[in-house]
Amino acid sequence: MPIKVRIPTPLQKLTNGKPEVECSAKNVAEMVDVLEKDYPGMKDRLSEGGKVRRFINIYVNDEDIRFMNKEDTALKDGDSISIVPAIAGGR
Amino acid sequence: MTRDEERAVALTIARHDLTTILDHCSAAYPNEACGILGGTNGRVGKVYPMRNVRPSPVSYEMDAAEQFRVMKDIRQAGLVLVGIFHSHISSPAYPSSVDVEQAYWPGTLFPNYPEAVYVILSLRDQGQPVIKGYLIRDGAVSDVPVNVE
Ligand SMILES: [Zn+2]
Repeated sequence: MPIKVRIPTPLQKLTNGKPEVECSAKNVAEMVDVLEKDYPGMKDRLSEGGKVRRFINIYVNDEDIRFMNKEDTALKDGDSISIVPAIAGGR
Repeated sequence: MTRDEERAVALTIARHDLTTILDHCSAAYPNEACGILGGTNGRVGKVYPMRNVRPSPVSYEMDAAEQFRVMKDIRQAGLVLVGIFHSHISSPAYPSSVDVEQAYWPGTLFPNYPEAVYVILSLRDQGQPVIKGYLIRDGAVSDVPVNVE
């Protein structure tokens, strides 16, 4: 069973409108590379200098990777990934 | 369906839900407060007051874990994200440049939550709070009336 990745609305232009895609990867960093191969432009949207962009939250089975091993967080078949833009602002 | 018909024409909120927003924002004063509005067809069904993890008079950021839980709760309740609210302490109820920037995916003009009405509650005059709604997308800020019932 592959890894399922929920794609947020602002990135669905890259996945031809698909709200969910599948992939296979050992960890989050590799997932970003695999997504980039299938959906060019994804890597730049998700990361900057190898790190997940600020204001972008990635969850593995409901757990924020920031509180696991960040980009090194291990993935396995059947995992469910969510990519969620932060809600913030000011003044 | 034309682009115009897709746009929220108004956000309707019950008076007790408006009170929940006011109370949450007043409690956080003089820092900004924030929250999420779940509902259907432009009508607020549930107010989620949220924690501000960057509390100051000029900033807010939702707690990521709480945001994730709330969005799941909204989906499971058969609702959608109809609004995102926050307070302004010393400025009018209009999106700031930071508010606009943060409404889009970093470095793009793709709105993060295109269907959500951005609701701003100004407490510049605490005795007379002002609440207004906006869509922030397509590189523009457009007014959405907030109707209280
Ligand atoms: Zn603001």
